[in-house]
Amino acid sequence: MVAVHSPIRRPSRPDLLDPMELSRLGGLEVVTDGIVEGFLAGLHRSPRRGFSVEFAEHRMYQPGDELRYVDWKLLGRTDRMYVKQFEEETNLRAMVVLDTSRSMAWSGDPGTRLSKLDYARRLVAAMALVLLRQRDATGLITFDDTIRSVTPPRARMSHWQDLLRVLGRVEAGQGTAAEPALRHVVGQLRRRGMVIFVSDLLLDRDLAITALRFLRHRGHQVLVLHLMDPAEVDLRGPAEVRYTDPESGSAVTLRPEDWSAAYHQTVEDTVAWWRTGCRRHGIAYERITTDQPFGPALRQALVRSTRLA
Amino acid sequence: MIAFAAPWVLGGLVLATVPIVLHLVARREPPVVEFPAVRYLEETSRRHQRRVHLQHWVLLLVRTLLIILLVLAAAGPTRQGGMGLGGHSPTALVIVLDNSLSSGAVRGGEATLVRLRAAAVATLARATPADRLWLVVADGVPRSGSAEALGAVVDSLQVSEWRLDLGAALTASQALLAATSLPGEVVMLTDLQATAVTPAAGDFPIVIGVPESEAPPNLGVASVDAGAQPWLGAGRLSVAVHGDTGGDPRPLRVAVAGREVRQVLVDAGARTAIPMAAPVVGWHQLEVRLDPDELRGDDGAVTAIRQAAPASVAWDPTDRYVNAAMEVLVANGRIARGRELIIGRLGPGPSIVLPPADPAALGALNRTLAARGVGWAFAEPAPAAGRTDSSTILPAVVVSRRHRLSPLGSGVTGVIATVDGEPWLVRSGNVLLIGSRLDPDWTDLPLTAGYMPFMDALVNRHVRGEASTLQAAPGDLVTVPDGVTRVLGPLGEQRVESGGRYLATVTGLHWLLDRGDTVGVLAVNPDSRESWLAAATPEAVRALWPGARLASPEGAVALAFSQGARADLRGPVLWLVLVLAGLELLLGASRRRRTA
Repeated sequence: MVAVHSPIRRPSRPDLLDPMELSRLGGLEVVTDGIVEGFLAGLHRSPRRGFSVEFAEHRMYQPGDELRYVDWKLLGRTDRMYVKQFEEETNLRAMVVLDTSRSMAWSGDPGTRLSKLDYARRLVAAMALVLLRQRDATGLITFDDTIRSVTPPRARMSHWQDLLRVLGRVEAGQGTAAEPALRHVVGQLRRRGMVIFVSDLLLDRDLAITALRFLRHRGHQVLVLHLMDPAEVDLRGPAEVRYTDPESGSAVTLRPEDWSAAYHQTVEDTVAWWRTGCRRHGIAYERITTDQPFGPALRQALVRSTRLA
Repeated sequence: MIAFAAPWVLGGLVLATVPIVLHLVARREPPVVEFPAVRYLEETSRRHQRRVHLQHWVLLLVRTLLIILLVLAAAGPTRQGGMGLGGHSPTALVIVLDNSLSSGAVRGGEATLVRLRAAAVATLARATPADRLWLVVADGVPRSGSAEALGAVVDSLQVSEWRLDLGAALTASQALLAATSLPGEVVMLTDLQATAVTPAAGDFPIVIGVPESEAPPNLGVASVDAGAQPWLGAGRLSVAVHGDTGGDPRPLRVAVAGREVRQVLVDAGARTAIPMAAPVVGWHQLEVRLDPDELRGDDGAVTAIRQAAPASVAWDPTDRYVNAAMEVLVANGRIARGRELIIGRLGPGPSIVLPPADPAALGALNRTLAARGVGWAFAEPAPAAGRTDSSTILPAVVVSRRHRLSPLGSGVTGVIATVDGEPWLVRSGNVLLIGSRLDPDWTDLPLTAGYMPFMDALVNRHVRGEASTLQAAPGDLVTVPDGVTRVLGPLGEQRVESGGRYLATVTGLHWLLDRGDTVGVLAVNPDSRESWLAAATPEAVRALWPGARLASPEGAVALAFSQGARADLRGPVLWLVLVLAGLELLLGASRRRRTA
């Protein structure tokens, strides 16, 4: 748990703090742990129930239920047949695919906002911790224009440290080639599992959606977390600016005040395209901006993933 | 045409280039910013380039127009035309103010001229120092000057006895305007008498201010004639009145030398003969006067009568036809036997000289005439017979024999009658020369009915040096009879050239003097057409003066200077500025809202 002391009244839970402010409080591990602790403190237990060791509740017996889960004592007292339900011991295998291209290293306001990559590091670490605490095997693939690292999914808690080390070493690459990384997931998840694709989606949309569909067809649940810097959503700037793409080097010169509305519309159209395209293929999609506190972002991500699961 | 009250402000139009310059300057060396989502910008650019560029240029255009309109508004734009609410550009304006006799007619309790004069003053008050102004009144003399000077003239203007021919006044006004380069127009303030509306030349715009009220009923003296002068004993006065009597005869008073001597009833449109008793010998002023009505100026008229004793005449009784005529005149009391006047030869006093029957005596006669100072002499016989030209004294008769009459001086004066254009009856002083003897061998005159009146006129009028009473209206140029060197009128005595022209300025009797003797009279009375007060119809006016605009006198004031009138455009321009400013705000706010 991270204690935050400030004369200014601020949220007591670290997961609700401003991401930049929170990142200044410590290293990746400490911060992420604080996020998760705070997050879990406000989260009810998983609604998924199974036949694990921890009893959850009774329900009426239905033909086909295994007789070994019938609560005989309750049958003796009430003369009715109930079966016991337990908190499920998950065996979910999740693989996080993290975009580390150069565009991810960009921040619209470096002084006050994390870059998309730094934000993604913390978010992925937090998600991994939550998943590992649920005993879900979690792995990580990082990529830019090629696959940079592959950390196979493991369920033990010590694996989180492995993931943190990988995340700590991640550096922004150059281009973005998501399709090989996504297809590489297949080799890592032999059983049906969950793929969490974290990227700013400044890539070849058709190739990416094709790869995501491929994963979906292989039976995996897929969650796309679309990271955006707020400056990418709303265009602002001086009278006239020459904008250059750090990855491709292409440039556009225009007056932001003339184009802001049209640009915003284009962004919204793009987001809508992703949302619609993902929904059509059963892929969960969530847009997260880097000025968003981690708690809500994590909740969005986990709610999506839980629904998928 | 657009003009500006402060054209120097237009220099501020260079400010209109500011948005364009800023636009061009702002386009140089834009800062380079790294931005990963360039692909979104490219896509946006592909999809919205036309609209954004259009919006950008519209905004640039709006801002430029805004500056231009603000500068224009500050420069005080005005437009030609309108109602002149915003002043007018320099204009040449002729005000025709009809102060003719008829303008004295009382309408609604005041003379028409009072209202016309007020309108003229108001029109002049709208003039600017840059305007060129003229004032034309009944005397027809164009007065040029400043609005103040002409205003003073208008203020002091009274009803004139002169008639104003509106067509002539318009023609003169148009000529004045044609000589200037300024836009010109004529403002005519008049009662628009139908009798005064005549064709006019020129095509400058005309605004006519005419009282709306009906012309009042009026009765005026059209003419008064005392007949042939002098009266020998009794006489007969002929008076004509015209106008509206309402169907009843109206009283007419006749006064001689200021004393009323007769009162008769007269009908409009009829000529009335009034027998008069003979006053004492001499010249007498005779005045006729109607009861006063709404137009007083035409209620009276004057003339003069000359009462004389019958001429005392001596003639040759052997001259058959002369003798016969004289005997008749003696029998009728028109002449008396005596030696005051000699007929047939040159006597010491007034004489009617005929060519001698013996041509050999012609030379001696001419020498005697010359010695007497007579300006004419008998010349050679005319080669062919001829015919007298028509004249007031003589009917056209055949003249088979005659001597030509040749003037001795440099000028031909005193010709009373001619034959085929050549002098036949001439007068020089108190001597009359006739080119033919009064005998059927010389002329048919003694055999015609006009012979006796001719002889009566010769002995009683012409040879005694008395001219007929002349009639004229104020403003007329009258040719005075030969020998008249001075005219004594109501305004005093004035020298004139013998046989020259005399301007009759005022009504009344103008005595014609020859070396101290009164030899005639000019009776100046108002023009009878001034008595007809009925106004011309708009159709008749427009037929004669196409394009003329009719209004009340006050309406004419508002319409004046319409050629140079300038409507103030600042209001509309500022409204446009407001609209553009709103549009700019809207566009700007829209951009800011999108940017925010």
